[in-house]
Amino acid sequence: MESHENAMEARHLRKSFGVLKAVNGIDFELKQGEFLTVFGPNGAGKTTLIKILSGLTQPTSGTAMVAGYDVTEARPEMRKEIGVISHATALYADLTSLENLMFFAKMHGLEQPQEQALKVIEEVGLSQRRHDRIRTFSRGMLQRLSIARAILHDPKILFLDEPFTGLDLHASNVLKEHLQRLHDRRRTILMTTHDISCGLEMGDKVALQVQGKFAFFENIADVNRDQFEYMYFDAVRDNQFTMGIGP
Amino acid sequence: MNLYFNQIAAIVWKDFVTELKTRELLSAMFIFALLVILIFIFSINLSIVKASEVGPGILWVAFLFAGTIGLNRSFMLEKENGCLMGLMLVPADRTAIYFGKLISNFMFLSIMELFILPLFMIFFDVDLLGHLGPLLIVVFLGTLGFCALGTLLSSLSSNLKTREIMLPILLYPLMIPIVIGVVRMTGQILEGVDLLEMMKWIGLTASFDIIYIGVSIMTIDHILEE
Repeated sequence: MESHENAMEARHLRKSFGVLKAVNGIDFELKQGEFLTVFGPNGAGKTTLIKILSGLTQPTSGTAMVAGYDVTEARPEMRKEIGVISHATALYADLTSLENLMFFAKMHGLEQPQEQALKVIEEVGLSQRRHDRIRTFSRGMLQRLSIARAILHDPKILFLDEPFTGLDLHASNVLKEHLQRLHDRRRTILMTTHDISCGLEMGDKVALQVQGKFAFFENIADVNRDQFEYMYFDAVRDNQFTMGIGP
Repeated sequence: MNLYFNQIAAIVWKDFVTELKTRELLSAMFIFALLVILIFIFSINLSIVKASEVGPGILWVAFLFAGTIGLNRSFMLEKENGCLMGLMLVPADRTAIYFGKLISNFMFLSIMELFILPLFMIFFDVDLLGHLGPLLIVVFLGTLGFCALGTLLSSLSSNLKTREIMLPILLYPLMIPIVIGVVRMTGQILEGVDLLEMMKWIGLTASFDIIYIGVSIMTIDHILEE
């Protein structure tokens, strides 16, 4: 990583799809080792924000730096510094967990891809299933393997896009422990979620994204949980009316 | 540079391991190509028309139609579970992803062709063994052009809901120059014409191969971006 105090920063970030403004002027910065949780109703532009910051899509205007790199340049050097976990696992269903991770280790140019893959498989507790095709895995196991894929190359920054989607209570708790461990190792994390208790418990900072903007951005220590919950549910309700799915 | 080639090799390895386990792609392509040849065999009277006149066209129609199935499947695998997103997040040049997929597609299609050619020889009662060298060169050029363009267009159409329909609609018109070249050359080879006498057709086909690879290198970045 280039020497920058901020692991991530965005200035006037915008992304439009025709008339729809998915991201509509987001400004924030995140220091190394900080954990930002972004809440927001469906369609608020959270996934688009992660896609821009991870270089998967280009912003319409504004700038964003991640690990000291301009995201609009989408340089391979930046991709070495980031890992992304989303509800899509990005894993090949007909390969085993070991083959999947070996493939991504080779794509990252890691030396000893097999050893590295085995190491992270053990870290996420899937050693027993390393030779099984992942088609047979439960959602919780797939999500753990998805974490393994994202941390395989030891990135400094992690983007988590609704990682708790579709997980039962046990799988959620296991995932939470893994994420907490990653945060303890001074990784910078940006997570989007609808799970208020997880999000507020794990993060250092919290943001509420509504209609493409950060309507709220604070240190979690300064946040009144009840007020935040009220504000969040208010935003969700308003969003339902806007989208025409309210009562 | 080493990493670039290792990344291409990793994609080819991954596609081959997947195919070894599922055996979906090769079997589907082989059966489809065989059926095309059989349908034509039953619909034409080889005692009236010369095999060297109708055979090459039928052979290449079989290769192209079967190859389209392979191309569609190739990028569908990458779309499943958001794997393409995973590929886009690795520190690889987009052209490495393109060349990895191109080589996989080329090898799968070539394997299918190697099984179809002897059957074509039997059904059409033509001697391919005597012209095997020139024929393999022509098959190589045609398959390379098809895969170069097909890999690019399948990555483009993979984002569309109607990808199975869009791929042939985009691909076949652009394949016309290569198809004309390889069908002509295959016909002439079956009639015993020397390869050196077909240099203009070889030049045409090879030129389109190079053009399609060049265009792919220039555009793959934009096509793979969401």
